Amino acid sequence: MTVQSAKEFKTARRPRRRLSASLVITVIATSVLVLLAILAIFADWIAPYDPLKQNLIEALQSPSAAHWLGTDDLGRDVLSRLIHGCRIAVIAAAEATTIAVLLGVPIGLFIGYRGGWWDWVVMRTVEAIVSIPGIMVAIVIIAILGAGLHKAMIALGILYSTSFLRLARGVVLAEREEVYVRSARVIGASDGRILLRHIFPNIAPPLIVQVTLTVGAVLLSEAGLSFIGLGVQPPDASWGTMLNTAAAFMDLNWFLAIPPGIAIIVTVLSVNLLGDVIRDAVGRGIVVGVKPQTPAARFETFASVAADSPLPPRREDEVLRVEGLQVMVSSREGNEVPIITDLSLAIAKGETLGLVGESGSGKTLTGLAILGLMGAGVRTTHGSITLNGRELSSLTEKQMEKVRGNEVAMVFQDPTTSLNPAFTVGSQIAEVLLTKKGVSKKEAWERVVELIHRVGIPRPEERARAYPHELSGGMAQRVAIARALSCNPSLLIADEPTTALDVTVQQEILDLFRDLQEEFGMAMLFVTHDLAVAADVCDRISVMYAGEMVEMAPVDALFANPRHPYTRGLLRAMPHASDRNPPLPTIRGNVPRPGFWPAGCRFSNRCDFRIAACDTRVPLVGTDRLARCVRAGELAMEVAS
Amino acid sequence: MTKWTAGSAFLVAMALGLASASAQGSGTFKYAEQVKLITMDPQQQSGSGVPYLRPVYESLFERGPDGKPVPLLAAGYEVDGLNVTIKLRQGVTFSNGEAFNAEVAAANINRGVKLAIIEGLKTVASAEAVDEFTLRIKLKEPDPAIIDSLCHTGGMMLAPAAIADPALDRNPIGTGPYVYDKAASREGEVRIYTPNPTYWDKDKIGLARYEVWELPDDTARLNALKTGQIDAGNWLANPQSAIIDRTPGLKLIRGTGGLNYHVILSDREGTVVPAFADLNVRKAMAHAIDREAFGKAVQFGLAEKSFQPYGKDDWAYDPALEGIYEFNLDKARELMAQSKFPDGFTFDMPSIPIYQSRLEALAGFFKEIGITMNIVPQEPGTLARISRTTNFPATNLVWATNTDPKFLALRYIYADAAYNPFKAKPTEELLALAQQGLESVDTEVRGPIYKKMAARLAEDAFLIFVTNTPILIGVSEKTANNPTVVYRFGEDSINLRGLKAND
Amino acid sequence: MLRLIFQRLLALVPLLFIVSVLTFSFTSLLPSDPVDLIIGDTGTQEQYEIVRERLGMNEPVVVRYFQWLGRAVQGDLGTSFFNSVSVTGAVMQRLPVTLSLTAVSALIAIVVGIAAGIAAALRPRSWVDRFATLGATFGQAVPNFWFGLILVAFFAVNLRWFPATGLTPISASPWEWLRSVTLPAVALGLSASAAIARQVRSAMVGVLQQDYIRAARAQGLPARRVLFRHALTNAMVPVVAVLSFQITVLLGGSLIVEQVFAINGLGTLAITAVRQQDIPMIQGLVLVMVALVVIVQLATDVMYGLLNPKARPS
Repeated sequence: MTVQSAKEFKTARRPRRRLSASLVITVIATSVLVLLAILAIFADWIAPYDPLKQNLIEALQSPSAAHWLGTDDLGRDVLSRLIHGCRIAVIAAAEATTIAVLLGVPIGLFIGYRGGWWDWVVMRTVEAIVSIPGIMVAIVIIAILGAGLHKAMIALGILYSTSFLRLARGVVLAEREEVYVRSARVIGASDGRILLRHIFPNIAPPLIVQVTLTVGAVLLSEAGLSFIGLGVQPPDASWGTMLNTAAAFMDLNWFLAIPPGIAIIVTVLSVNLLGDVIRDAVGRGIVVGVKPQTPAARFETFASVAADSPLPPRREDEVLRVEGLQVMVSSREGNEVPIITDLSLAIAKGETLGLVGESGSGKTLTGLAILGLMGAGVRTTHGSITLNGRELSSLTEKQMEKVRGNEVAMVFQDPTTSLNPAFTVGSQIAEVLLTKKGVSKKEAWERVVELIHRVGIPRPEERARAYPHELSGGMAQRVAIARALSCNPSLLIADEPTTALDVTVQQEILDLFRDLQEEFGMAMLFVTHDLAVAADVCDRISVMYAGEMVEMAPVDALFANPRHPYTRGLLRAMPHASDRNPPLPTIRGNVPRPGFWPAGCRFSNRCDFRIAACDTRVPLVGTDRLARCVRAGELAMEVAS
Repeated sequence: MTKWTAGSAFLVAMALGLASASAQGSGTFKYAEQVKLITMDPQQQSGSGVPYLRPVYESLFERGPDGKPVPLLAAGYEVDGLNVTIKLRQGVTFSNGEAFNAEVAAANINRGVKLAIIEGLKTVASAEAVDEFTLRIKLKEPDPAIIDSLCHTGGMMLAPAAIADPALDRNPIGTGPYVYDKAASREGEVRIYTPNPTYWDKDKIGLARYEVWELPDDTARLNALKTGQIDAGNWLANPQSAIIDRTPGLKLIRGTGGLNYHVILSDREGTVVPAFADLNVRKAMAHAIDREAFGKAVQFGLAEKSFQPYGKDDWAYDPALEGIYEFNLDKARELMAQSKFPDGFTFDMPSIPIYQSRLEALAGFFKEIGITMNIVPQEPGTLARISRTTNFPATNLVWATNTDPKFLALRYIYADAAYNPFKAKPTEELLALAQQGLESVDTEVRGPIYKKMAARLAEDAFLIFVTNTPILIGVSEKTANNPTVVYRFGEDSINLRGLKAND
Repeated sequence: MLRLIFQRLLALVPLLFIVSVLTFSFTSLLPSDPVDLIIGDTGTQEQYEIVRERLGMNEPVVVRYFQWLGRAVQGDLGTSFFNSVSVTGAVMQRLPVTLSLTAVSALIAIVVGIAAGIAAALRPRSWVDRFATLGATFGQAVPNFWFGLILVAFFAVNLRWFPATGLTPISASPWEWLRSVTLPAVALGLSASAAIARQVRSAMVGVLQQDYIRAARAQGLPARRVLFRHALTNAMVPVVAVLSFQITVLLGGSLIVEQVFAINGLGTLAITAVRQQDIPMIQGLVLVMVALVVIVQLATDVMYGLLNPKARPS
């Protein structure tokens, strides 16, 4: 089995489910429309009565066996009129849409191709028409043409042609620049052939989408115009005219309004739903159902697995303590899959613990688990998290809100997305101070300026009033750090805080972290995939793989003597300034996604040192440094030798 | 001292208030009109919407409770051949202060003649002032209905300043008990009228404010009546008036006079539709209509069958014609079989929205005897004009049943009649009858002549009468119990002279 | 911001010019002669000529256009063909009616749309989400005038909670105005609510996945505050973009909904004008509508700028 990333996993599975849902919709909507077409074509045979056959004595009757939907003001059969109304609906939709396409597309193609004055004049006209409410445009055109089904449909056709015109023009403008059009011209194809050969296939998909949109809109507009007496004229039965009649008789027989209303709604709904399906299909290409690949090794059952790692030793100035943490995520099938297992760690005041691993190893989630912000469908099932001696899982959400910011804060990877684009950076820091510390606005602002100054931004007064997009990435990250430190937390979680930044800026930010830690004395959990960065700021490093800790050691010891093959792989992948020449060795494959972890050692399927013993569960062992590998001892010697 | 002044000032104010109240009337009466207001110039007005004009304009005569003309701005009249001499009321001024006299009256009549919109003035050659308060109208031909015509828009008197105003259609000035308050009125919604301080008969001003609401939507008008937003309003025979008729707390007044709905086979010589020249076809069509069901379903039981142009209480009405074209499908089919068109034929019929359901019903009846009637929608307000053209071989119109029967000839019989676009020649007998009808003003003499005319018309069957509906006015219970509410004879409005508010 | 407003107002001038040329040339294509309609059933050739002269119909269309334009720039949109009512006056009289209907329905659409959108976005795939999404899809398929009829049948005719017809001016009685505007505004606002709900949902789902939301929560800001201040402010950016379009649609929809409730607004005026072929009225109405739409666009642009600092001219 080729291992897929979590992202691929999602896209591969989701379409299948959506396809089945959309299949149902497609089938229902299509059947409704087919039924409509059948009724329209065979109305004369299907309708139980002549739609114009009146019986004044039996006027305004309620539904009965003889007249399933009752009779109207002239005693005509409502069901028969409804069925004949299908014909009008089909004619109306076909006529107006055809006119719109035939009028809009050629003009759009023409002006798009010609450009210049033609384009300018037509586009200004279109803009003018579009700025008038559609129904008003239709009414004005009907004023000129006169009322009636076909005239009203011409009016609607003209109205909706503007969207086809813009669509066609847009496609031509895009395609005209395409190289293959130019090359075709060089070969000597005529203009007409270029348009037909190259532009038409590109127009087709958006055109189909636009047609479905237009059909729905036409049906509603036709009903509206007929309702106000400018569309289909009586005695012909259109759903709109039937509603017009019903409106006059609401007091006497309100039921008259129901059948044509339902007919319009069901038809428009079907067209719209079908349009949604087509739009989705055109938007991302037709999706083919993918069977989920059966994983080579099914992940081991976890409920029984107790924390088997040694707990970190207790220290006096301990800020954070995590014991036997297990986090589960609910999958689409409904069952829960572990995403972090058996994680224990502790950080003391002034200490920095690095959390290192590839993406998908669960490091970021560890940070979020501490904050209690893992998002929907993810929950902690085992273990405890203690912050400043307090068990966080026992806190209410309100209490947790107090803890966040005050005792623990987090700096995120990308400063341009972790700051709200809608507010000035200063106000975002001030907001924290105002809500958490309850200081006055003035005090808050003074503190904001002070903090911004402290994180090394010149002209802090002015920068505080800037919006995030007005700052450079490094500057924004400094602001984010300032915000995180605004309430003096005892623990700072930094999630890849330098990854999104320029290499030149990275070092400055790392220096800033070190300085700030010295000054504020907080504990720091530093999440990164980059061992070099971790080496720079961390006291100890904990390596994570597939939701568990595979190795933990003081920085120097880890670099000098990695015990886990994965750590070795990571170290080898680090670029060294000294030897540039040999290509960087990388670890083959990817981190397996949750639910597809191999039983036993989770790294076993990527490991060059795999032995039979790796197929059973491997515990994390050691005292001052830990490793989760049956061959940890051998490897240590190999490196040493 | 100061107290005394204040107190007396208060008394004076009270006295003034009382005085003005007695002169001005009190309370508000709200009427709803079903047609939109086009113009407030009576002489440009082509029919409905008179309730907008009545508060401001008074005519020379008005109809009494029995329908006979009685003087209003006139004091008396005398008809001598082609000369009609009218004595005018003295001491009347227009609300803008201009005096009302024979010269002004003559100018009014002459303007109406020149504009040539008012049907009742078609027989007038000119008008002139004999002396300050004597008006003489010269006729082109004998017209027994001229005084009746002066009861309506033709006799309404406009102030000279109003006539000179290009915006007369929204600035009416007359002699009536109320004046139009343009500032308070809302275009397309409501017209406000306030007492005329210079009115010649102040005792007849019973209201402080009169409102005419423009509510063309039947349901909206019904709701307004239900909720007390209006005190009264006019209706046609439609579902909403039927609801009024059966709603407790509301009352549907069936006024005198009414509207006769009829089909006109204009192309009776068969120029476009040859079948119309066949008497059997015309009779078959007349027999094919189930007037009973039509009146019940389309006009909600508010109509009665009609076989002649006049209403039951009219002096020209002939009971002998009742039931002459009773619904008889077998007979109608038989007549069709006997005709030269046993397989039927097709023709076009113009329609406006308010006649839509009537025509749909008629089309259904004609379909039963193999005749296809295509309904061709026209803009509202254009039906009468289109009916005067050869665009359609047939049409459908209404006719006020208390219109003088002489107009029957003017509309349908003469070769140049208004609604005879194909110039069909009338029989000698019909022509003679039409002529005889004009020779007297006495209804005792004229009655038999017009009865005969109706019988001949029934035999020819190119006018197919369908139903008569009375003039319908929906009112609230309070209005129904208000003794000062007087419905004008043969008109869909309430006489404002003496009208007091409901409470 | 002021510069933006100024630029947009300046752009309004050529747009109104083009619209006026379009409507003027369109209406001069009218097949039937309005003069015939004016002189009515009994008109003579002589009257015909008089009316034609009075309306200036004997002048070439270009001359008429510039005469009209000259007056229009001074706020005088001419006089109705049918009576002495000034177009500006007639339109201005009805404008408050249509505006209050459109504004209330826009308010309903915004409140309902945002509430439903947020509720759905907070718990994707929950029953709330499914219900809201289904409702939104459904809401966009329901004709507003039909919904109005049903509302009237149920809430006005049956329960008598609201008046069935008419719109009381707010100046006459604010309470009656509220009662009378409720049903038409709900009927009109339905599909816009649906469209806005869909937009809010997708924008909100996107925003809630953003880092800055998690960052704000990590900073210990209360969930409610994060949702309404941080998430909503950003989610509103794309919503405001559809809002301008939706209000234009509402303005058009009000023309038809007015008919259901017999409301005497711009729609009734427009339909009457079209039936009577009252050219100056049609032209005036179209121009006023365009001006309204542009003002709405301007307002939403300003809002867009306030919500989205990146869109502000620096």
